[in-house]
Amino acid sequence: MSLTFSLAHLLGGIILLCAFLQLSQRRLAAMITLYQAEALVLSAAAFWQGFAQHEINLYLTGIITFALKAVLLPWGLREIVLRFNMVRAVETALPMAVSMILGLALIGIAVLVVLPTTMSSISLTREDLAIALSVVLLGLLLMIVRRNALAQIIGFLSMENGLVLAAIGMPGMPFVAEFSVALLVLLAFLVVGVFLLRIREHFDTLDLSGLEKIERRGR
Amino acid sequence: MRVVGNSIGLMFGLPGQGMHLHLDALSLLFGCILLPQVVAASVAGMRASVAFWAFVLGMALALLAADGFTLIFGFELMSAASWLLVMQGDRKPATLYAGVAIFSGACLIPALFLPASSLAFVLVALGAGAKAGLAPLHSWLPRAHPAPPAGVSALMSGGMVKVALYVLIRYAFINLAPAQQPWWGEALVAAGALSVLIGALRAVLEVELKTALACSTVEHVGLITVGLGLALYAKAIGDAELSGVALQAALLCAVAHGLFKPLLFIGAGEVKHATGTTSLNWLGGLMRGMPRLGALMLLGAAGMAALPLGPGFAPEFLLFHAVIGAAATGGILARIGFSALLAVLGIGAALALAAAVRVIGLGFLGRPRSLHAAAAEDLRRGPFVAMALLGALAIPVALVPGLLLDLLNPVIMLLAPEAQTPPLAYAPVTLLILAGLAALAAGFVQTRWGVRGLREVPAWNGGFGRPPAWLPFGDPHTQASATGFAEPVMRVMGKGLLGAGMTDPAERFLLTPLFRVQTRLIRLAERVRRATIRERLAFVFAVLVAFLLALGLGQGG
Repeated sequence: MSLTFSLAHLLGGIILLCAFLQLSQRRLAAMITLYQAEALVLSAAAFWQGFAQHEINLYLTGIITFALKAVLLPWGLREIVLRFNMVRAVETALPMAVSMILGLALIGIAVLVVLPTTMSSISLTREDLAIALSVVLLGLLLMIVRRNALAQIIGFLSMENGLVLAAIGMPGMPFVAEFSVALLVLLAFLVVGVFLLRIREHFDTLDLSGLEKIERRGR
Repeated sequence: MRVVGNSIGLMFGLPGQGMHLHLDALSLLFGCILLPQVVAASVAGMRASVAFWAFVLGMALALLAADGFTLIFGFELMSAASWLLVMQGDRKPATLYAGVAIFSGACLIPALFLPASSLAFVLVALGAGAKAGLAPLHSWLPRAHPAPPAGVSALMSGGMVKVALYVLIRYAFINLAPAQQPWWGEALVAAGALSVLIGALRAVLEVELKTALACSTVEHVGLITVGLGLALYAKAIGDAELSGVALQAALLCAVAHGLFKPLLFIGAGEVKHATGTTSLNWLGGLMRGMPRLGALMLLGAAGMAALPLGPGFAPEFLLFHAVIGAAATGGILARIGFSALLAVLGIGAALALAAAVRVIGLGFLGRPRSLHAAAAEDLRRGPFVAMALLGALAIPVALVPGLLLDLLNPVIMLLAPEAQTPPLAYAPVTLLILAGLAALAAGFVQTRWGVRGLREVPAWNGGFGRPPAWLPFGDPHTQASATGFAEPVMRVMGKGLLGAGMTDPAERFLLTPLFRVQTRLIRLAERVRRATIRERLAFVFAVLVAFLLALGLGQGG
């Protein structure tokens, strides 16, 4: 039983590390690689939870996660990067060090919130929940501190990984919910992909700072 | 329509309740104040206006209401209709007026349904006071009242203000009586004294005739409120005689003001009709071209200045009596306060006299300052009938106020059941007879022992220079202008109270900060509208983090 805990915590920790490292990366290629690693570890965590909880559904979740997030989405993102020629570093809204300090603070907040609030439940869920909340908050922070649309999408996807992590940690979470979440992400990805193409067509760049300037000047 | 108890229920209004009308002594008194003004205003030319009759209907409903809903309905109908009428005259004050009306409604609606408490009184005083033009919420009145046609101005100044005061009286004296405190009366006295001072001062300084009259309305509302406040104070501390005298003063002042102020406003409208302007700097010499208007305006101005033998004297006399009586009661602070009030009222009376002298002396006497003023024709028939009616009704108020006070007794008994009403110690008829006897005696002495025969001397022309040949009416600049006449008052009091820009302190300390807050809010709203997606996300994120932080700290602590 203790192996269950240790391994689950280890996998959660690796996911959190990947999410945190995304904050420190300027280059889109590195962010995509980190995202891919995160999704890979997430599918491994889903398999492990399925094994530990004897839930066939979680195996299915793991397979979907692997196929969609660890293979399909990174491949699509890399395609976009290549097609738009965005290999160079992207612009950040906050200095890197500041955003990393903020990320640390967010992890602290997540632990501070989850651990006392869920004192009564079993420990497996508690720590996993704290890690999942940290990943969600880090994903949100990533969306805020990056000006590039693609980087914001990666933040969004990373946030969604956090939600899935929380879902697989919960014993008895129905499979339908996870499936719908995965579908939602796919849809969002398609929509955003189309949206990116439109932006690119209109402005010849994916850097949103020009758009923000126009917005600020009034519509 | 059905009769329930002593009130009449109407078949419309709130579902399941209807509206209830009820006539008691107080409603009757204010109805009687209102009636001649409505007749006069309709005769003076407002007969065909739908908004005018809606305005009258609203006032009547507010006066006759037996329940809170009917009262608010009538009050707001009155506000809305008068807003329409103001907007017909001028758009800019109409917006300010609508703002004040909304404020007063927002204060009154909760107040009318609260249980009797100090909070309810404060809300009623704010709501009704804003509508009545009580300082410091008075600055809209000199802007909005002159805007509409003269008949409506007359009814707004003489009638609408009274309806607001009626609401204040009904709630402060009857509905909220179980919870009454002495400080209610003191607060009303303070607001009234401030109104008297500001209103009278601005009435001397304003150049526009109608604006000056509106400022004088602020002053008279202040006088009435001082009387009401004294009565409320006396009722709370159980001083029967003081409350009686103060109520007599307040109610009689309301009656007198309801007659001479509409008279003056209709007269101002006629001045505008005849000369095209109401600016005192362009009038003058109207007494020659418009003798009937001049005589009636003289009567009204005598009331406005509270001259002895005029309609405004008896109430002011009673009010001074009441204040002197109040100064003899209570602790040392009350004595000092009421003595200071006496001084303020004295200054107010002097300024009111100056304002009336200025209106008559600069508008109706002297030389015409413009060709229009020189060529003015006398009153048209409708306004003349209206003014004559009001003037005729003002004469009994001026000459037999004692009889009128006896008629007021039931109202006073209703408002303050234990009040004592001493007979009036001022007998204008006797005074008039004595003055007449003295004049007769002087005439007799002059004819009997005076200088006989005629002597030809050059007429003294008031110190004017000879009119140049190219100006047939004389150079208007050789006589004092309205601004020049007010200059000494401006130098002594105006600079200190109104500041160098001659703006109302209420505008400086109330409207300007409000305007600044509005500008800031608009900027904030614009900033939010223009926020980028990232900024909106960051805001939501910050709120989420703050929430989580609060949750975590709350749980951990």
